[in-house]
This record gives sequence, structure tokens and C-alpha cells, in this order.
Amino acid sequence: MMYKPFISISIRKLAISLLLLVSASASAQLKFFSIQKDSIPFFRGFAVSFDLVGLAMMELSDYGQYEGALRINLHDEWFPIAELGYGKANHSDDPVTHIRYETAAPYFRIGIDKNLLKQKHGPYRLYAGLRYAFTSYKVDLARDNLTDPVWKWETGFGVKDEQCNYHWIEIALGADATIWGPLHLGWSLRYKRRIAHNDGVIGRTWYVPGYGVDGDTRLGGTFNVIIDI
Amino acid sequence: MDKRFRQGILTMNRWLCVVLILFTSLVSLVISSCSSIDCPVENTVSVQYEIRDKAGNALPITDSLSVVTTRADGQNIVLDITTLNNGQKVLLNRLIDKSSFSLPISYSHPEDVLFFCFKDSVKTLVDTVWIKKDDIPHFESVDCSAAFFHELTSVRHTHNAIDSLVLINTSVTYDVQTVHFYLYPKTGN
Repeated sequence: MMYKPFISISIRKLAISLLLLVSASASAQLKFFSIQKDSIPFFRGFAVSFDLVGLAMMELSDYGQYEGALRINLHDEWFPIAELGYGKANHSDDPVTHIRYETAAPYFRIGIDKNLLKQKHGPYRLYAGLRYAFTSYKVDLARDNLTDPVWKWETGFGVKDEQCNYHWIEIALGADATIWGPLHLGWSLRYKRRIAHNDGVIGRTWYVPGYGVDGDTRLGGTFNVIIDI
Repeated sequence: MDKRFRQGILTMNRWLCVVLILFTSLVSLVISSCSSIDCPVENTVSVQYEIRDKAGNALPITDSLSVVTTRADGQNIVLDITTLNNGQKVLLNRLIDKSSFSLPISYSHPEDVLFFCFKDSVKTLVDTVWIKKDDIPHFESVDCSAAFFHELTSVRHTHNAIDSLVLINTSVTYDVQTVHFYLYPKTGN
């Protein structure tokens, strides 16, 4: 006597393949998040770093930032990180639009990096990471003697101490190399996406401390001097 | 020999890495300093009017309409009336056979005073329109010209040719699609 199968063979095959795929993907995810087993201790210390790109921008243009970071080394694989900075812009008088823009405020980023290299404990590291960032800043904006093109009245244009804030996330890809003893040099490229913002009544803001120029390129970068402590 | 060769390779790798780091940092510096100017293409702030009949249908004006205002130096000037002709913006001194048009708005005067002059072959009727507003500085970027957006608060007018001028939308921005006023002319004019 033949029994008709409750589920058709093709559906059963599909379900089994899906289960295998899910379990394979889950095991790959577990492997990504697991810590390599060896004799190296889990906690490997702290490192402080300073960004030179923001400093160079501050010297070469009318905006930039001073930025430092504290990083925890977990088994040379995971690196929780807090970045603190102070960004400022002083665009004194635009030659074409004659607009002055000033802001200065602290900002922070928190996130984590993962060392992607197979050889985790070597002198080189290749990172991929994620950051959440926030700044709350005030904007001074002014354009004196703005003439109405029709009525010809002269008027002032601007705001003072306009309170704004900005939340954004960054995807980071970076590398560093041990140069000598506790000294490392490293760079990171950042892809930034704004997630929430308040530009006050003026519509938009220009330089956002830590983020850069709003509406400009979403790419950024840091070049870090890193010291293990 | 083998050990020295390995050490040589390691030293070379380290220097290669330093060079790579310096190169990429230069690239990242260039990326962070690159900028593009992104000002809005539609950067005229104006008030949109639509002429309507009592039934609420668009009513092309049969008289010619010109709008006059008084400048800061006391001189009366005819305002440019902007309208669409085959989808193209046209600036006119006198409007005829059109049911919609736009007029400039002052940057920061608390009340604009406009004289609407309706003229046919026989007579000219003039209505004075007072538009009160709040002015809001609008900023895009240091590379873009300063502008003002406005919040219309009230309107009043004389009743020679205009039956009523109804404020529909109060916010005046770069948006040229939003109608701010419905203008109902007096019937028989």
C-alpha cells in the first residue's frame, strides 16, 4: 500500500536547503563575533590617538577639528572606541556672498572596530567599524547691508546663537601599523550618513562640528598617531 | 642567509606600509577638503496669485493688470509680473489673458503696499493692497546668496476692482507651485 507524502518532495527539499543555509549563515556570524582561542589574554590594554587630518584642515582652511580617541584592545580583535573632538568654523567674509559663518562646539563618536586580518596579533591591523556620532552647536550667521533688489531698503541678515544639533553614523575602514614600541600610525576612511538633525529657523547649516560641511561629500578621513598605554 | 632575507622582507614591508599610510592619508585629506557648491536652482521667493470667478474657476483677466509699489527713495516703480507662457517663465509689466501670476515680496519690510491697476480701453481702477508678514532669514550655504522666507500674517485691500483677496497659504518659500492668494475681481469690471 502506497502512502501519499504529507508535504511534496520539492517543498521538503526547499525547506531543508533553507535550514542548511540559515544554519551555515548563523555559524558564519558566530565565527565573525567569536574571539580566536589562543594564549594571548583577552584584555590587551588601552590606546590613545590624535587625528592629524582635522588639524591640517584647521590650518589650511577656515574650518576643521581637534580630535582624540580612546580605544580598548580586546584580544587584538575587537576595539571599542570613543572619539572626542572640538570642531570649529570661522568663515569670516565670503568674497562672493559676503556671508559670515561661525560655530564652535564639541562632538563625540562611540563605536567599535573589528580587526579583519587573519593574523590578529601581528604589527599590522585592518579595521572595519561603525560609529554613532552627535554634536550640539550654536551658529552665528550674518550678512550686513543686504539690499532689497526691488524696494532698495538695506537690511541685515543673520542669526545669533542659533541652537542646532546633528546625529549621524559613520562606517569606517582603516588600517594601522606598529612603527616603534607603543607607537602606531594609522588612517581611516569614513562614510557618513545623517540620521537626524535640527538646523534651527535658518533652514540649513554649513559646517557641522565633527561631521564637516553639510550636503558636501559623505566621505571623510582621519590620519591617526596612536600610542598604546 | 634565509633569516637575513626574511628580516629584509619584513623591513621592506614595514616601509611599504608607512608609504601606503602616508599616501592614503593624503587621499583622505584631499577627500575631506573637496567641496561642491550646491545652491538651489529655483531661488526666487515670490507670492503666487490666482484669479478666480465666484464659482472657483480660474478666470483669465480681460483688463490689463500692472502692479506699482513705492521704493525706499520714494519713487513709484512698476513691479515685474511673472507668469508662465508655454511652460516658460515670462516677466511682464502688464498682465492680460492670464489667470495666475507671481509678484515679488520685500526682504524685510513688515508690510508691503502694492497698487493693483486694472485698465481697460475706457478707465483705470486702482486698488491698494497691504500685505503684513514676518520675515525669516533663509540660509543654504556660505556659497549661496542670502534669502528671506516669509510668513504672511494678514491682507487688506480697497474694493474698487477687487472683490476679495483671500489668503490661502501663509508660507512663502522657493516653492512656486503653492498659491498664496485667490483674487476675486468684482463682476462687471
